[in-house]
Amino acid sequence: MDVQRLRLIVQSIAFILLIYGGLFAIDLGNRLPTFACAYVPDNGGGCFLVGFQHMLSRPLPQFMGEQGIRLLKAIGIFALWAVVINKAWCGWICPFGLLQDLLTKLRTWLSIDLSRFSWIAHKRYKSVKYILLALLILIPLGIGNGLISRDWTAPFCQMCPARPILPLFQGDVSEFMIDFTSIPTMLLTGAAIILVGLMFTTAFVKRRFLCSYCPMLAFLSLFDKVGLFSLKKYGDLCTRCGNCFRACPMEIREIEEEKSIKNLVTQDCILCLRCVEACPENQALEARFAGFAFMKADAKAFLNRQHGSPAKPKPTPAQKKKNK
Amino acid sequence: MDNNVNSRPAAMAGGEKKLTRKERIINKVRLHLSMSVREIFEKMEEDETRPRSMAYFDNILAKFMHEGKGVIKARAGQKVIGTYCVFVPEEIIYAAGGYPVRLCAGSHDSAEVGEDFLPDVACPMVKSEMGFAAMPILEFYQQCDMVALPASCHWKLKMGEMLEPFDDVHMLDVPRVKEAERARVYWLDEVKRFQARVEKITGKRIRRKQLREAIGMIQRAQREVHRFQELRKHSPAVVLGRDALEVLNAYFYDEAEPWTGALSELNDELEARIEQGIHVAPPRATRIMLTGSPMVFPNWKVPFIIEDLGGIIVADEFCTSQRYLSDMVSVDEGTMGDMLHAIADRYVLPCACPTFSNTIERRDRIARLVDDYQVEGVIYHVLKGCHPFDIELKIIENLLQEKGVPMLKIETDYSPEDVEQLRTRIEAFQETLSGRR
Ligand code: SF4
Ligand code: SF4
Ligand code: SF4
Repeated sequence: MDVQRLRLIVQSIAFILLIYGGLFAIDLGNRLPTFACAYVPDNGGGCFLVGFQHMLSRPLPQFMGEQGIRLLKAIGIFALWAVVINKAWCGWICPFGLLQDLLTKLRTWLSIDLSRFSWIAHKRYKSVKYILLALLILIPLGIGNGLISRDWTAPFCQMCPARPILPLFQGDVSEFMIDFTSIPTMLLTGAAIILVGLMFTTAFVKRRFLCSYCPMLAFLSLFDKVGLFSLKKYGDLCTRCGNCFRACPMEIREIEEEKSIKNLVTQDCILCLRCVEACPENQALEARFAGFAFMKADAKAFLNRQHGSPAKPKPTPAQKKKNK
Repeated sequence: MDNNVNSRPAAMAGGEKKLTRKERIINKVRLHLSMSVREIFEKMEEDETRPRSMAYFDNILAKFMHEGKGVIKARAGQKVIGTYCVFVPEEIIYAAGGYPVRLCAGSHDSAEVGEDFLPDVACPMVKSEMGFAAMPILEFYQQCDMVALPASCHWKLKMGEMLEPFDDVHMLDVPRVKEAERARVYWLDEVKRFQARVEKITGKRIRRKQLREAIGMIQRAQREVHRFQELRKHSPAVVLGRDALEVLNAYFYDEAEPWTGALSELNDELEARIEQGIHVAPPRATRIMLTGSPMVFPNWKVPFIIEDLGGIIVADEFCTSQRYLSDMVSVDEGTMGDMLHAIADRYVLPCACPTFSNTIERRDRIARLVDDYQVEGVIYHVLKGCHPFDIELKIIENLLQEKGVPMLKIETDYSPEDVEQLRTRIEAFQETLSGRR
């Protein structure tokens, strides 16, 4: 089975569940570590970040009581999801990820070449998502303690590019606008619209451009070490051919470069498993769930995937004679 | 050997006499080459267990007895592009409708001609290549519309200018420190420059579809190679090492497609043999791996010694053989840029050539071969004058020592003079190997 096709199917099912699930009375809870946008009217599950930001907008002393317990419970549910599914949330479930992947399909169909970050730039921009994560914690705390105006409420949701877009799938256009109520709301919702624009334009030069800056990915990656999914590399079998690095939508260089680190679920990895598919060396890369290797790099399978149907070479004259 | 073989046209303008002398030399070299090739084939015929499907490959190399006529099957008007080493992307040549021929050479006789261009200490491979380029000994060396020469070792680096009087040369600059980002970008540019040059020679622009097909064609060849190597792991061995060397060597001159078909037949035959329990060496034959400077037909000196003495070459780490088609292009998005990038990476990043700064790829490859093929001893072949492989010898020796696998270093060239001496040393080595069991 072609894993990338399987992934597309899973992503599509997840998309339908998360965006339209409410219409069929499906509810996966509102602590999901993925962009199941809470502004979608009848969604089948909600994004963790929205509730998280609201819960944080409280005066500090309140956290000593019931509020604190509520917060801990929310984080606990998030952590559970994060441990069980890791960042496969990003690669296999996130509706916003699917949209970006589909745009990439459109790009390759138009045969437009990909462009890559220089290694140094890539490294530098990686920290942006942690800064966003810190801000979406600090600003609500500031609001709750009277330091920051209420206009900054749920700041990340206001600037999140998924909020204007995902409700559109239920015909709700009300989020697709800039909120001119005050300067902060204008700045934040304006940023969201700019990000939407960026998403559509960068899709024609890059893959998963916005994911590298996503605070959800930053939050999830805190659980990398304990996640049940892992990517394992047997360094002595790896030729450092670079195939995995080229295939990686997140441009993760460690996947090729490392020969000694065993678990290669790195900060940006979305567990799409493209690297395992692109690896031509038997068993050099391996994807595991709870210690069980469910997918291994395999030279034969690699070649079958690569050249598709015309597998049989033309028969030589001698062969033709034999067949007669 | 007569020394005055300066074959620039100017030098020949002197008159009849010089011309005839050149012709005399050519005739002599052709005769010697054809004799040494005949000798090889006679010896191979003695081997009754030889797979019948080897005939296809024999057929290609036997043409060396007749000035190489018909070795390459380029169609009328198809441009022939000579390549050296393992860094020239054949996919690009095929996609542009060209016919690639790998020109790395192994003839003692042409090496003697080549001595006029190079210092004594030069490796016999470059000497042999120069000899073939300068004199019409094998036809296809004269048929090349262009030759692509990667600047790998220092001999190859300087050979470009030496070849210029005889060939249209395109130098490819292979980066040495392949971990560097700029090196990779630069090499990709080199590949694109090569593409432009090939397109100019063949007069055909490479489109997405042709490139994808060319990649697929090589991938299909690689699939058979992969099968073949799996079969070589079998113990007792079902194919001799020298035959395996021949199979890959025939790829130098053949087109990928028919060659793949022939190898697939050979693989079928070998599979059938395993079922029938036919093998080419007794179960107790010492399993030997070759590494070091490449061996090219007709330099079958060492393989013959090893296998005549009852050993069996189960694997090798030569750029002219097992390593030639082992690394694979991985097409990801299938756009032009993606495919070119994939091709560029395939020819440099996983390559274990000692002209790169690091040795880790080579160390890991050798360690893996030793394990996978149950190798009992390694013979490290150094061509006199081949510094890159000589330099890495110590590192590989240490690695093998750690793994507890004995290694024998042999330093030799293409001349038959040291055969007896080599035989004595290899015999002693194989005895120690059997003694260790
Ligand atoms: S694709 Fe496989 S062999 Fe190549 S660098 Fe990645 S892990 Fe190593
Ligand atoms: S490292 Fe592998 S699994 Fe992770 S994002 Fe890159 S290609 Fe996907
Ligand atoms: S055999 Fe060694 S010295 Fe000779 S061309 Fe190859 S790398 Fe250079």
